[in-house]
Amino acid sequence: MAPRSELRDVPRHHPTTQRTTMATPSKTPPGADPKQLERTGTVREIGSQAVWSLSSCKPGFGVDQLRDDNLETYWQSDGSQPHLVNIQFRRKTTVKMLCIYADYKSDESYTPSKISVRVGNNFHNLQEVRQLEMVEPSGWIHISLLDGANSPIRTFMIQVAVLANHQNGRDTHMRQIKIYTPVEDSSMGKFPRCTTVDFMMYRTIR
Amino acid sequence: MDAVFLAERLYAEVGSEEALYLLATCYFRSGKAYKAYRLLKTHTCSTPQCRYLLAKCCVDLSKLAEGEQVLTGGVLNKQKSQDDIITEFGDSASFTLSLLGHIYCKTDRVAKGSECFQRSLNLNPFLWSPFQSLCHLGEKLDPEQIFRLSSLHIPLAPPPPISPAQNPSHRLDTALMETPQDTLELNRLNLESSNGKLTSDSTVSYIDSSLISPDPGSLLANTVSMGSTGSLLGKQNKPKSGRSLLGGPAALSPLTPSFGILPLDPSPGDPTYLQNYSGSLDTQQTAPSKKSVSRIGQSKSVFSQSGNGREVLPIPFSQSQSSAPHSSTTPQVLSPTLVAPPNIQPRRSTRLFTSASSTAKENSKKLKMKFPTKIPNRKTKCKAAKTSNSNLNESLDILKLDSSMNDSKSLTTPGYQSISLQRAATDMVLSMLRELGRGYQALCCYNCQDAINILSSVPAHHYNTGWVLTHIGRAYFELAEYTQAERVFSEVRRIEAYRVEGMEIYSTTLWHLQKDVALSALSKDLTDMDRLCPQAWCVAGNCFSLQQEHDIAIKFFQRAIQVDPGFAYAYTLLGHEFALTEELDRALACFRNAIRVNNRHYNAWYGLGMIYYKQEKFSLAEIHFKKALSINPQSSVMLCHIGVVQHALKKSESALETLNKAISIDPKNPLCKFHRASILFANDKYKAALQELEELKQIVPKESLVYFLIGKVYKKLGQTHLALMNFSWAMDLDPKGANNQIKEAIDKRYLPEDEEPVTEDFLYDSGKNPLSAEELTQREWPADVEESSMTDADDSQLHTAESDDVL
Repeated sequence: MAPRSELRDVPRHHPTTQRTTMATPSKTPPGADPKQLERTGTVREIGSQAVWSLSSCKPGFGVDQLRDDNLETYWQSDGSQPHLVNIQFRRKTTVKMLCIYADYKSDESYTPSKISVRVGNNFHNLQEVRQLEMVEPSGWIHISLLDGANSPIRTFMIQVAVLANHQNGRDTHMRQIKIYTPVEDSSMGKFPRCTTVDFMMYRTIR
Repeated sequence: MDAVFLAERLYAEVGSEEALYLLATCYFRSGKAYKAYRLLKTHTCSTPQCRYLLAKCCVDLSKLAEGEQVLTGGVLNKQKSQDDIITEFGDSASFTLSLLGHIYCKTDRVAKGSECFQRSLNLNPFLWSPFQSLCHLGEKLDPEQIFRLSSLHIPLAPPPPISPAQNPSHRLDTALMETPQDTLELNRLNLESSNGKLTSDSTVSYIDSSLISPDPGSLLANTVSMGSTGSLLGKQNKPKSGRSLLGGPAALSPLTPSFGILPLDPSPGDPTYLQNYSGSLDTQQTAPSKKSVSRIGQSKSVFSQSGNGREVLPIPFSQSQSSAPHSSTTPQVLSPTLVAPPNIQPRRSTRLFTSASSTAKENSKKLKMKFPTKIPNRKTKCKAAKTSNSNLNESLDILKLDSSMNDSKSLTTPGYQSISLQRAATDMVLSMLRELGRGYQALCCYNCQDAINILSSVPAHHYNTGWVLTHIGRAYFELAEYTQAERVFSEVRRIEAYRVEGMEIYSTTLWHLQKDVALSALSKDLTDMDRLCPQAWCVAGNCFSLQQEHDIAIKFFQRAIQVDPGFAYAYTLLGHEFALTEELDRALACFRNAIRVNNRHYNAWYGLGMIYYKQEKFSLAEIHFKKALSINPQSSVMLCHIGVVQHALKKSESALETLNKAISIDPKNPLCKFHRASILFANDKYKAALQELEELKQIVPKESLVYFLIGKVYKKLGQTHLALMNFSWAMDLDPKGANNQIKEAIDKRYLPEDEEPVTEDFLYDSGKNPLSAEELTQREWPADVEESSMTDADDSQLHTAESDDVL
């Protein structure tokens, strides 16, 4: 931690140099709005099927604010790092992607910078599948959860761990998290989705 | 509200049963069924019309058992048989039976219910709602037989003694049944009843809108009514100081199933009136003062001249009669009035479909207003006594006139004339009912092509109405010809923008066609127009479902269910939404609810089958699909699903058979061919599969699944390059789709070593971007690779699943 904090301390006293040092890793560009993803019909948000819990939170800034579809409200942690968001499903669920909204401009030192995603069956069984670093994020960050064979992960539990924040902040803000599962069109056999309206018209009787 | 007030005063004044009935009717008509219910409960009501009204209130308030008890004497007491009911209720028996049938159906006694409906139709072939209910129950009816006059209805015999059957509630049903025939009967009833009691008879003919076919028919109808009244007149000789207004129009209007009441009028309208006529039939020749149109306006009678041109018609006639001293002048006088009717085309309509919402009083008031405007030159100031005579003359004169106008034989007797005219008019009505009945029947049995043919051959002015077009649209929908259906439905919207029945089918059509703009416009329009109808919320739900916002769609469908728990389609749609959000248990519950509401709702059976298929309970799925198919045997989509399920159950031959049948029913269904090809592929019949798929490629050239399957077939056949070609085309066409499957297929392709040392990297360029088809073909390929005719190969930048954080 010490070397790293030194590194960070330097920019703090020298705003200009901060720019230059931080400019070398390019800023994480924002991803597309997940709503648009949903509209393609290829993924579906399944956060409502899960139980969400946090390692710590400030009163009034908890799970509800994290899951309320409102980018103005956020979760603020209130403990020691790493801060954890635990997502537990009732049954083993296929998850394809995780979307986190983070905005450096509004959260500054509360913005997460290093996130680790772990999956498993229960708290004792978690394994890290992804770790990513973000540099001044300003929007949605898409984290795809694919296993070795490049297919979506099937799991009971997901844990999102915030290992570090920007400017070495202690607590973190997280504005929104969404979790997506691929939509399987299994109404007509194990085929991928049809693409044309002509096919889709005949697919089902509604 | 005026009527309620007055009725309350009357009841307080006179506390008789008729007044009670009147008051209850006022409450019922103003939409407060519970008031009518309580009122009638607290005071004993023995007259059949009161009982009928009470039963109707019970049904509206969902107190089905009580309603049944009222009508049939209850479970504990000896139940009356239907014959008893018929004799008891007399002329309103048809409505009573219809109501009873409705109660039976709702309480799961379908056989009794359908029996009731049948008898109701026997008694009164002009009722549409029992016919409709029977069709919904899936009974095979013969509209030819049903919509036919039996000897019961011919007014040859003297009017049978019947209790006054004119209930306002009848009016609701009779809104459907408007024919001179009925009015004749009812008039007769009125006569009888008035014979029975000269005191205030609360039942007075209401003139109602008629279903009578266009002008000539209406003219005839009017004349018929004239004739009928004439005949009646001949029979009765009791002069009565009826309110001429009532009597006149009532007598003149053929179409009025009489109902309605004259709250403050001491004398019953029609019958007495008619009696007046008869009395003075021979004596008076002069046409005294004109009928009081304004009198009508003044009369406080609940004259449900529910805005029908027909109704207005008789009155102008009478007016004209009264105004002209003799028939010589009447023709001229009449002609303008004859012209009037075309303008006053009957507002038949939604009355047919709405339940008792409109109040007779409002209508009568409206009509009263109408009279002065339409017949400005008719000033009417005559009093009752005089008008009775005048009306009599008028009717006679009209009769003469009509007969002359129709070039019919000389007026032998009013009775004879009337009967033949009447018959002609009723025949016209019945023939139209027959046609529509046949079409509707065909639709309910899902012989959709027949239904379309029948309904399209209806005369043009009927064809261009909301009802006919909606049902044609629905027939196209059931045939899965969504573009046609959409065209028809948009026509409906253009003609009758206020129509909500059938709009849920339209919304599903748009959902299938994925026309989100039209769908959201429709949804907005309907929810603005009527927040209390389930169809509007179903449309809204479909709109959001198309936008993949399933939670909101679920909310709207639940709202539709709240608004009307008897609307089966809302449950079905809700079930589909739950299925899409993978909440299969709730989906199952919803589909089951839909079936509970309507056993023949094949969509719900299909839904159940689909859920079981998703849960891989294939045999259950097959059972449910088969049940749905039994209800709707010509649905190719259903057959397709059954084929797929059978294949999953390893019954490939029957699967192929089913799919063949599906294709023969509807050759345009590409999915059937696709599945047939996939089954052939699974059974190793590669050549046949390929042929099938080639055909399919011609039909739907842009469908990635087709190429995907072709690729798999080629892969099995060992033609790797073709396979790869097709996979890449498939991926091209489906950039955002489940590429994984395609990529897997490609990967697996190359695991066993082949002549071509092609690896997955072959498919990607150095930047790890998947190659487009064009680029692929530029790599070295063996000679037999064909160029694809894909037009959009170039611009598809196949997405990179590799990039982590950016989509």
